[in-house]
Amino acid sequence: MSTILVIAEHRRNELRPVTFELISAAQGLKKSADDKVLVAVVGSQAETFTAALSVSGVDEILKIPAPVSEFDPDVYEAAVSALIEAKQPSVVLLPHSVDSLGYAATLASKAGYGFATDVFIVEYQGSDLVATRGGYNQKVNVEVDFPGKSIVVMTIRASVFKPLEGSSSPAVSSFDLPTVQSRSQNKDFVEQGGGNDIDITTVDFIMSIGRGIGEETNVEQFRELAETAGATLCCSRPIADAGWLPKSRQVGQSGKVVGSCKLYVALGISGSIQHMAGMKHVPTIVAVNTDPSASIFTIAKYGIVADIFDFEEELNSQLAA
Amino acid sequence: MKLPECAAALVDLALKAGDPYSAAAVHVIAAGKARRKLEELMFSKRRDALALARWEHTPASVLEALCGASDEAIVVRLDKNQNTPAQAISRLYVTESLSSKNSLSLTVLVAQHRHASLAVLRNIAQFENDEASLLAVSKNLASNSEVLSMLLSRFESNSILEALQKNISEHPSTSPQLLEQLYDKGDVYVKAAVIGHANCSQRLIDQAVQEESVLIQRQLAADRRLSNDVISRLSLHQDKSVRCAVASNLTAPKDVIKSLATDDSDVVRRVVASRSDLTAHSINSLMNDPDVWVRQKLARNSIVPYRVLAKLSQDLQADVRRGVARNAKCSVKLLRVLAKDEDYWVRSAVAYQRRTPKQLLVDLVEDTAVDVLSGVANNPNTPQKLLKKLTVSKEADVRRGVILNQSATRLTLLPLLEDAYYLHRLMLVANTKLKDKDKWHLCFDPDFQVRFAAFRYFANSFIKSGS
Ligand SMILES: Cc1cc2nc3c(=O)[nH]c(=O)nc-3n(C[C@H](O)[C@H](O)[C@H](O)COP(=O)(O)OP(=O)(O)OC[C@H]3O[C@@H](n4cnc5c(N)ncnc54)[C@H](O)[C@@H]3O)c2cc1C
Repeated sequence: MSTILVIAEHRRNELRPVTFELISAAQGLKKSADDKVLVAVVGSQAETFTAALSVSGVDEILKIPAPVSEFDPDVYEAAVSALIEAKQPSVVLLPHSVDSLGYAATLASKAGYGFATDVFIVEYQGSDLVATRGGYNQKVNVEVDFPGKSIVVMTIRASVFKPLEGSSSPAVSSFDLPTVQSRSQNKDFVEQGGGNDIDITTVDFIMSIGRGIGEETNVEQFRELAETAGATLCCSRPIADAGWLPKSRQVGQSGKVVGSCKLYVALGISGSIQHMAGMKHVPTIVAVNTDPSASIFTIAKYGIVADIFDFEEELNSQLAA
Repeated sequence: MKLPECAAALVDLALKAGDPYSAAAVHVIAAGKARRKLEELMFSKRRDALALARWEHTPASVLEALCGASDEAIVVRLDKNQNTPAQAISRLYVTESLSSKNSLSLTVLVAQHRHASLAVLRNIAQFENDEASLLAVSKNLASNSEVLSMLLSRFESNSILEALQKNISEHPSTSPQLLEQLYDKGDVYVKAAVIGHANCSQRLIDQAVQEESVLIQRQLAADRRLSNDVISRLSLHQDKSVRCAVASNLTAPKDVIKSLATDDSDVVRRVVASRSDLTAHSINSLMNDPDVWVRQKLARNSIVPYRVLAKLSQDLQADVRRGVARNAKCSVKLLRVLAKDEDYWVRSAVAYQRRTPKQLLVDLVEDTAVDVLSGVANNPNTPQKLLKKLTVSKEADVRRGVILNQSATRLTLLPLLEDAYYLHRLMLVANTKLKDKDKWHLCFDPDFQVRFAAFRYFANSFIKSGS
């Protein structure tokens, strides 16, 4: 019998959706009916999450009461290390999120566990655990195995595994947090500005405009096109800096990573490293640019060397037909 | 440390810094031994040489110096780098053609390079047989009509003819004669592209009036040389994309536009709503249009009178109200109302608006939405005192707004030279309000891009002053 441990992620008293994706990934790793999926939840309010975590695929919930309610890297590292020590799971799944980046690598490295980040496929090939992640700027898929490692820690990419449907009645128990000296302090939460605009990290179809649109007056026709096509309109930094679209629509290093996007149409965007940091992982990228040597074409699945205004006109007439 | 007084002293400093990016920044002003030392610093590690060959900011002189490299990975990067100068591209092409390993993919890269010389492009057009390279020449903006014509005549019945025709019919350098040839031989897509081409002759325009294809009619309808009769006829075309093209045609007569303002199709009316020659009658009908995009476009139209803007400023749709706030002629009275709008994106439009007066900006700075505050930071009417306050905002976007503000003074900008976000320090390197002595320390910034930009800035100053 082996155990697969999932670490739940929550923020401001709400479980993050990725937790349920991890449970689904864990379920896929069960090799026999005896194998167990254990979900641990850390925090002063751990108790309050048990009902929400009683979903299909969960065999046991472990509450780890802590002095803090929000994420703290030292507390999580101590809690998860002790839990791994006690339960000896074969696989530990964490979300590939900013929280996990704060402690997962340290935890794995200190104890010498196998480790892979940003994993989007995880499976057993025979008896070998194999994780697939991107390499070389997501240009190739890399399979990682973990010879000689009996415990493997992985951070799993969000929006890849589909949460299972249905509920369950898992056993619920508590686990004591070892004494830990936290080095950080949660002062307050600062909401990202931008009012009540759509959260572009959760949408699956994006049309994005860059400096190629020329003038502010041209923004409207692309908003119109996006609306007709059922896409969310996003942009590169110069467009947001000029106040032509809200900051919350900016994709990239200083903007947002469009984690759930499946189709990204880049219109008049050159493809700077900083822009690509927010969208290069998208499985289908369509780029429209008049410059055949624009960097965006190096990551596009479909490249169209054309004027975006011609493209807009043509697509509009196709959509209207 | 003191600002160097001559180019040689700056080069010396870059050498002392020991960083390949600072070295790249001053390479162009270095000579003799110093230049060789810089090259040693930049190219002795293969990793640095590869990175510089690919980097979009690498100066042309450095790329030129790398051009002699025998490392194929570097050559590929040089061929791809759009800053590689014309001479270097020509040299790479000659070396690659003579090489026993003559690589087709490298020829394609040269054929599409924006600095490829006419001689190189002519040579590829005349002697190469690889389709991808030939097509790249037909799309390269550096090709002229003679090269394009040569390509067409070389492949009169080849499988790539169709693709060549399409590319050449869209190439801005294609001559009227070549366009006539393409129109006679091309398919409907080629014909449509020819009609939409700026060099298309009047004779072809007149001929195209007889064509039935919607694609061709659409291109035709946008042409400014059409007679009023033809435009009127096209404005009744059953395909709305053709009517849209008429609606965007600046030479369309008033009565045509008046009737298109009540067209059945929303998309046609949306185009009409942006026109700068609308009559009062059309404006009145468009302001009550059921389609929100029509009202929005009208709201942005600077010819719309106050009375209409006032009505649109109360529209239930925030996008329409934002349109009013972004209207170049929006009155201060309406901006005052819109500054209190419940929608942050409408208030943001007021904050970015050049007509928004000081006092309103002072009120808007109390807003909590980052888009509104960024607008205030960006607005040249914002008082310096307020801008100074915004330089310590915890939102990087807001601080960047101050950097982008063309009225921000030196004193306002000074604290931002120490901004925690390296992008901001990078942006300030080129700022003309700051003095050289203010920026000098950026040559020793922890971020390599900032150091590069600062060294480059000072190197260019020496070039300009001739010292
Ligand atoms: C620290 C830092 C952080 C940054 N963060 C971000 C970020 O989060 N997001 C971001 O986007 N940028 C970011 N940037 C800026 C980034 O470096 C680029 O400057 C920016 O992404 C360029 O935007 P763009 O592609 O719209 O414009 P450009 O690079 O100017 O490209 C415009 C493109 O449009 C094409 N074009 C022009 N006209 C037409 C036409 N009619 N039809 C078709 N194509 C046309 C051109 O060929 C060109 O390729 C950051 C930079 C730094 C230094």
